[in-house]
Amino acid sequence: MTSIAEEQILNALKTVKDPDLHRDIVSLGFIKDLKVEGGTVDFTIELTTPACPVRDQLKQECESKVRALPGVKEVRVEMTSSTRGRSRFESATVLPGVRNIIAVASGKGGVGKSTVAANLALALAKTGAQVGLLDCDIYGPSMPLMFGLVGRQPEVTADEKILPLKAHGIRLMSIGFLATEKAPIIWRGPMVHQIIQQFLTRVEWGELDYLILDLPPGTGDAQLTLTQSAPLSGAVIVTTPQEVSLIDARKGLQMFQKVNVPVLGLIENMSYFKCPDCGHVAHIFSGGGGEKMSEELGVPLLGQIPIDSAVVETGDQGTPIVAAKPEGQTAKIYQIIAGAIAAQMSIVNMKGGPAGPVNIKWETKKS
Amino acid sequence: MPLEVKQADERTLAIRWQDEHESLYPCGYLRKLCQCAGCVDEWSGQRRMDPNQITEDIHPIEIQGVGRYGIRINWSDGHNTGIYTFKYLREICPCEKCKQ
Repeated sequence: MTSIAEEQILNALKTVKDPDLHRDIVSLGFIKDLKVEGGTVDFTIELTTPACPVRDQLKQECESKVRALPGVKEVRVEMTSSTRGRSRFESATVLPGVRNIIAVASGKGGVGKSTVAANLALALAKTGAQVGLLDCDIYGPSMPLMFGLVGRQPEVTADEKILPLKAHGIRLMSIGFLATEKAPIIWRGPMVHQIIQQFLTRVEWGELDYLILDLPPGTGDAQLTLTQSAPLSGAVIVTTPQEVSLIDARKGLQMFQKVNVPVLGLIENMSYFKCPDCGHVAHIFSGGGGEKMSEELGVPLLGQIPIDSAVVETGDQGTPIVAAKPEGQTAKIYQIIAGAIAAQMSIVNMKGGPAGPVNIKWETKKS
Repeated sequence: MPLEVKQADERTLAIRWQDEHESLYPCGYLRKLCQCAGCVDEWSGQRRMDPNQITEDIHPIEIQGVGRYGIRINWSDGHNTGIYTFKYLREICPCEKCKQ
């Protein structure tokens, strides 16, 4: 009797599709711990990311589909998640334990990339994900200021590992913690290479669902070293709407395509200004650039972030806007973009990537 | 993109690709096709390395991934500066079908 009911329930759930992965949630393996007792049905939906943007929608759809079955009186759905990540992430030599490594990049400076990276990391963490933020902006690290950690230094363990600092629920590492903020960092290529290597191998991140890398602007030494040493899972490109910024964003995008890093999408920052008094929307840096580029290059436009004076204030005071004003409009937009990134990352991971990390010790008869 | 990169035998590297094609690369063949700036002139594209200097018994000591797009081979002759991108490796697959 019970087994028939279970099958009926699974059949009903099979009609529910994940809108991003385009498959039904039963064959995706999302349904766990299905229990039927009399008229009560319990099950768990295990999503591929806690930041799933359609979380509530899926829950409601499953509940109503099962409740509609004859004989079902009560439906109890538990939502959990197990973040999908790169293959064999547990035993990776670079960044072990980190499931997804996402670079936030821009072709051009001054587009607010660090602000976007910081707020995205916080928005992802708010969904329950374990998040780390690595400030790779070797020349102008801004994370210590944005997180109110200026002058703080990370602990170094006995085996020479660097422990990331913690702020607003995320783990954080920046070159700014290793140098004083008043002295400029003047380094040649080999130094840049070395410090990035150290960041990738010596920082003890622990288990992370997402590690956000805030890249320095451009397509130079630091970016190349990163794409060669870190197995980036994906990249997002931050741009502003005007043409000069878009030209550089295109270059950034082409760099990632060249090194086979999936571009998860574009974020258009400083998209518009909405007057807080009259509600008038002004496209200060012209409009529609991000949309145009997204169409032209075939990558999703993940979202458009307005100009908000609170972004600067909160950032300068050491609490980025997503943490300082979580109910505000800008924070809500960040939350939507974080969901879109997580969804795109899940899509990439479901496609199955390359053969995991390659590390072969050649065997010969002589040796 | 490859699904698997492994040593086939003492003198052969094997790559299984996403389209299920399998490429087998003899070590000497791979070493001679190194694309690094030391082996190929960066401006003219001319091969600077003398293929006759590559000995019969050349083999990798170690192979490591480079980002998501390629591998670096540490050769028994001490050469290790070349990055073999997966795109390049697929292009130089020595099987009869691919050669055509």
